[in-house]
Amino acid sequence: MTFRTRLLLVFTLAVVGAVGLVELLVAGNTRQTFERMEAQRADVLTRQFRKEFERRSSEMVRAVNAIAGSERAINMAVSPDPASWYSEAAQLAATHGLDLLELVAGDGSIISSAEWPARFGYKEDWLSAEGDWKRRGAFLRREELRDGTALALVAVGTTVAGDRRLYVVGGEQLDRDFLSTLVLPEGMRVLLYRSLDAAFSPRELIDATGPVPGAERLRPVIEEVRSSRREVIRTVGVGADAETFHAVPLTDFENQVLGVLLIGSSRRELAMLETSLLLNGIAVAAAGILFGIALSWWATARITRPVNRLVASAGKVAAGDWNATVDISSGDEIGQLARAFNRMTGELAAQRERLVQAERVAAWRELARRLAHELKNPLFPLQITVENMQRARERYPEQFDEVFREGSATLLAELTQLKQIVGRFSDFAKMPTPEMQPVDLNGLVRETVKFFEAQLAQAGIQAVTALDSSLRPLPADPEQLARALRNLVLNAIDAMPRGGTLTLRTFVLPGAAMLEVSDTGQGLTPEECDRLFTPYYTTKTHGTGLGLAIVQSVVSDHGGRVSVESEKGKGATFRIELKTEN
Amino acid sequence: MRSVALAVLLMPALVPAATRPRYGGILRVEIRESIETADPPATGHGIPDLSPAFHITRWEAGRRAVFEATEGAPGGRPFLDGVEITMGRPLRDQSIDLELGKADLVELGPAEIRRQPPGRRVWSSSPVRVLALVFSPKVDDSRVRVALALAVDRSAIQTVLLQRQGEISAALLPQWLSGFAFLHPTGVDLARARFLAAGARPMSLSVDDSSLRPIAERIALNARDAGLTVAVGATPDVRLTELRIVSLEPARALAVLAGALGLAEPARADSPEALYAAERALLEGYRVIPLIHLPDVYGVGPRVHGGQGITPLGEWRFENLWLESGRP
Repeated sequence: MTFRTRLLLVFTLAVVGAVGLVELLVAGNTRQTFERMEAQRADVLTRQFRKEFERRSSEMVRAVNAIAGSERAINMAVSPDPASWYSEAAQLAATHGLDLLELVAGDGSIISSAEWPARFGYKEDWLSAEGDWKRRGAFLRREELRDGTALALVAVGTTVAGDRRLYVVGGEQLDRDFLSTLVLPEGMRVLLYRSLDAAFSPRELIDATGPVPGAERLRPVIEEVRSSRREVIRTVGVGADAETFHAVPLTDFENQVLGVLLIGSSRRELAMLETSLLLNGIAVAAAGILFGIALSWWATARITRPVNRLVASAGKVAAGDWNATVDISSGDEIGQLARAFNRMTGELAAQRERLVQAERVAAWRELARRLAHELKNPLFPLQITVENMQRARERYPEQFDEVFREGSATLLAELTQLKQIVGRFSDFAKMPTPEMQPVDLNGLVRETVKFFEAQLAQAGIQAVTALDSSLRPLPADPEQLARALRNLVLNAIDAMPRGGTLTLRTFVLPGAAMLEVSDTGQGLTPEECDRLFTPYYTTKTHGTGLGLAIVQSVVSDHGGRVSVESEKGKGATFRIELKTEN
Repeated sequence: MRSVALAVLLMPALVPAATRPRYGGILRVEIRESIETADPPATGHGIPDLSPAFHITRWEAGRRAVFEATEGAPGGRPFLDGVEITMGRPLRDQSIDLELGKADLVELGPAEIRRQPPGRRVWSSSPVRVLALVFSPKVDDSRVRVALALAVDRSAIQTVLLQRQGEISAALLPQWLSGFAFLHPTGVDLARARFLAAGARPMSLSVDDSSLRPIAERIALNARDAGLTVAVGATPDVRLTELRIVSLEPARALAVLAGALGLAEPARADSPEALYAAERALLEGYRVIPLIHLPDVYGVGPRVHGGQGITPLGEWRFENLWLESGRP
């Protein structure tokens, strides 16, 4: 991971982290505020419902008492023929706006029933259980109706005429009509569960429009209220569908739970608010990321540009450009580093220059030493021969001709050798540019072996060739390549003064051809291997030190490589790798 | 004949104070029935009874019929110039029309009878209508039919819903006609009814006339007490219906009733014992449960004079009526 990427990540994470933290704080505070407001709203609605309940109860009691106190009720109470009042309840209920009205004789027999006219004559024994219904006020009660059981808010009025008594039981159903009269704030609703059976029945959960779909999900809340008879607050559902319910038990005068009022407050607004906050947070985070990228781009550019320059300059140095410097003028750590780098490269260049000069001096010295050594050997016989000729002229004139003839021959021979020495130096200096043409390397090897056939036999060396027949002609200068090969063979012959085996092998490499020349001579030390291709370096007493240098020069001019592998006492192998294509 | 004499004796002696009959005027009659036939009915109760004293001059099916006095009627020209009949009029509206003087003769249901003002003249026939439960053939479990027969509290229906009109009976022929209707038991036995109703499937009870619905509701309630689930609905397993006694001759009346109820023709009966056996045979399977025998009851407006305009069988006899506003 690059420095710039790391910086980018750090900046981005910092921005996203900050935004996320703010988002969490805002969302948490918002949720708390919403919960508080929702609780207040539910509390208000609960109070409103209770107030409405009390108002309805008062109205109910008033209506029932009005009926019970009417002349008709008295007439009914004293009437010897209750049958004649059979349809009275329906009319009175309509007049007083009651859903339910039963007129019951003192013995508990229904005289007239508005909600279920056919029930006349049936008994309402529960009415005799309470002595003072007026004090009781309105209460909840399960009412048997023609279509089933209903939950109702009822009140009982009593008409007493002499020893006759008439009960007036009026009521209002707690149904969807009742719920529809409640005024609700936006996002809230009121549900009513009519606990008419012991088991939970989903169809008994209604709202202002009728049965509530998905009533099952409220079952745990309702059953908890029914069993505990206490108000509970529970949240049902998740996400935008979540709803908080304040469940209030509705009990009869014997404290039996006959219904559960559920005031639901939708959490949709909260969910929407949270979603909005989340989206805003994401937008801010996205902007933060973009800002982070831009900032990190700018910052990293500012920070890494000098570093990149340093990297580039270091690369140049590695590539051999010792004069590479970094142009940074800042006074910070990067500037100090750049200046140190520049100092370092300056010193390296100076040291290299000094090294080159030293090597050049050493080479000249080596050349002078080698020249002196090479020239000294022929010069000494020359000097002796000339001195012999001078001595013979002075001391033995009669033998001077003989001496002169022999001396002249010697002088000529030594001069020829001197000439050869000078010529070899001259040849190395004047190595021509190779003239490339397809060359059969295997053929070249065979010709070379044949060229040295007599010399090898004289030295007791067995020549072995292992040539790869699949080797195709490769581009090379045949003269130079033959010269290099001869030098290697000569080197091998020199390395095996007591005979041995000379092996020449060719084989194909991917895109190249390999030529190996191995001897079974005394081998080379690693130090000798390192210096073997240095001009004028030789391990032989009579060599010029130019043979392997010429080999390396030829191979290099052909774009190839030459190497040596040797171990002291185990011979040496020279390898020439040449490209098979230009 | 003894029963007919008794019915005649029960007719109220409502001869008005007016001294002499007058000719003229149109008697305005309202009925609940809506006769939808293209032509006026020639047989049956009510409108066909007007002929030959009156003849039809205008017929609006289901709405209105106008009759005019027949000058050459066998008993002489009626006092009335004509009779105008409004059909399909609810009982409550009929009572209101009578009260407001818009009608001279209206039918009275149980609720309306109680509401009539003091001094209102009421014409009542003998109990000539049989109110009965009739099971459809698909109710093939006789135990269920017996259970329902034992569950129905006829007394409460007659006392409250019918305001003591009619007579409780488990017989097809009324007591005044046959003399042995009381032999058919009418008591309630809920314990036995519950036993018989065990495992019964729910039933639907329909009514031929909406005015019978309160009675049907009560029967459904009685059935529930016996463990039977009976809902008042449109697709009937059992039907609450009303049939009319059309003859003063008991055997013929029984035969007509049997035919109308889809029962087998009763055996020929030459004696009261045989007639009782025949009727009992008809009711044996509890396919039909007679409940109550009801009279025809009419409320009469103050300008109508001339004695009771209906016979013990409820037939209209308007030829001797005259109106206060008629020509002197």
